[in-house]
Amino acid sequence: MDCNNFFVSCERAFQPQLEGRPVVVLSNNDGCVVARSNESKALGMKMGVPYYQLRESANGRRIEVRSSNYTLYGDLSRRVMGILREACPELQVYSIDEAFMVLDGMTLDQARELCRGLVRKIRRWTGIPVSIGIASSKTLAKVANHFAKKYSGYRGVCVIDTDEKRLKALQLTPIDDIWGIGWRCAPKLQKMGVNTALDFVQRPSAWVHKHMGITGVRTWQELQGEDVIEEENHERRQTICTSRSFAETIPDLDELTLRISDFAGICAHKLRKEHSLAYEVCTFIQTNPFRKDLPQYYPAATTRLEMPSSNTPQIVSAALRALESIYKEGFQYKRAGVIIANIIADDAVQGDLFDTEEEQRQKADKVSELMDKFNSSGSNMLRVASQRPGHYAEGIRREHCSPLFSTSWEDLIKVH
Amino acid sequence: MAQAGIHAGFPSPAQDYMDGIMDLNKELVRHPAATFYGRVVGDSMVNAGVDEGDVLVIDKSLEPQEGDMAVCFIDGEFALKFISFKGPQKGGQEAHKPGVSYNILGCKDLWLLSGNPKYKPIHITEGNDFTVWGIVTYVIKKIK
Repeated sequence: MDCNNFFVSCERAFQPQLEGRPVVVLSNNDGCVVARSNESKALGMKMGVPYYQLRESANGRRIEVRSSNYTLYGDLSRRVMGILREACPELQVYSIDEAFMVLDGMTLDQARELCRGLVRKIRRWTGIPVSIGIASSKTLAKVANHFAKKYSGYRGVCVIDTDEKRLKALQLTPIDDIWGIGWRCAPKLQKMGVNTALDFVQRPSAWVHKHMGITGVRTWQELQGEDVIEEENHERRQTICTSRSFAETIPDLDELTLRISDFAGICAHKLRKEHSLAYEVCTFIQTNPFRKDLPQYYPAATTRLEMPSSNTPQIVSAALRALESIYKEGFQYKRAGVIIANIIADDAVQGDLFDTEEEQRQKADKVSELMDKFNSSGSNMLRVASQRPGHYAEGIRREHCSPLFSTSWEDLIKVH
Repeated sequence: MAQAGIHAGFPSPAQDYMDGIMDLNKELVRHPAATFYGRVVGDSMVNAGVDEGDVLVIDKSLEPQEGDMAVCFIDGEFALKFISFKGPQKGGQEAHKPGVSYNILGCKDLWLLSGNPKYKPIHITEGNDFTVWGIVTYVIKKIK
């Protein structure tokens, strides 16, 4: 299951006037275009175009611009996934707008009927249009999904159930549209004459192994119809924690800020080592429970990131925001720590988003890597500037952000 | 913590409710995935006891029925209306610009009635940009 133009659809769910109009959603900080409505695509708007280069209108049509509102998108995602899980308890949520359903023990007709019903139900209940591809492997299901999205005749559900359909679909699918073929790999393959997914599966598996390793072979097997990609979440840790007891107690925020920054940095490093990203960063501080003569305080707070991250500055600033929300003067803190939770694979993030921001992300990751290198000496020479209390509070830019229609009492839709 | 995305406590706290605690969500929200809230602006439903500032519990999963109070999206804004397939009753409100009948739900004519004589019934025609956004199941009114 894949939501259609998810961010744009979320905006439209509460602003029906945007229906049928060209809409684009900007990345964090209003940087560049990360989501487009079909109308914007038809007008030739490209992913990743910086906001300042964006034309206000095209072909005489005004372009509706929205800042990304991840709180809103997260709420609608939770609703969509909830409806799916009710129908199919074996649900593997892959990203904010994609999930895999295991439909074992059903005939194809039953599966098709179930999915058609789900497409209608999700649209009606949440306002979000979705498409579903049905096939014998995840990668083929993604291929089927592309077709379901592209052609309205499928009514939201496309099934690849015969070899004939499979080969036809692969022939029509460019290699860089295949799930699991990274942006680095696609040009390489094209140079070697592999332009469509069909070209790819026609190569022997030994050739694939030689050029792309075992992950390439897995994709190749999946395109042959074998279900070999396991759910990744099981293999991943659910949380990463770094905490310490201090030799001396620490009463002041400045010192705690330094310690928490280091813990958060260590957690971010672990995340990157495991090729994971996290949505939640929790900070806790504790007084000494054995000193009954002193006032006791054991607070914790969790910051939810708008986008999952393993980037040191982002993890540190999230941890510090949590720290600032719980810190109180007048206590002798003995122990503190950072817990990273809600962890996903770093390739599980919505492709659209990061394909276009890949360069920015790489830069950010480079910074993190460098910090890891310097700090591995144990001296923690490099810290992020945002460690200074208060500094990180400078707002991010969100000039066109919609209200939090579904998560804030102050922002409800107004009904006349 | 307003909208900073920070909440107290550890990640993913267990959501088990203690026995005996009455949960208003369970009473007021039949379909959590389809339930949204709205805030009333204006006086279009005063005779139905719905006033400015009230909170509407809106269930998008329900099929509109005769007499339902619904949040409609019409001509660029959300409007609170009664759904009627029969149209205004005799002696009641006078129709506002009856136009070409438009098959919006099944093959029925659709009228939107308000709870205030100030506002004329609206006969939905092709000229209207119109959807039934959701059905109102509860109205929450602040008394004190």
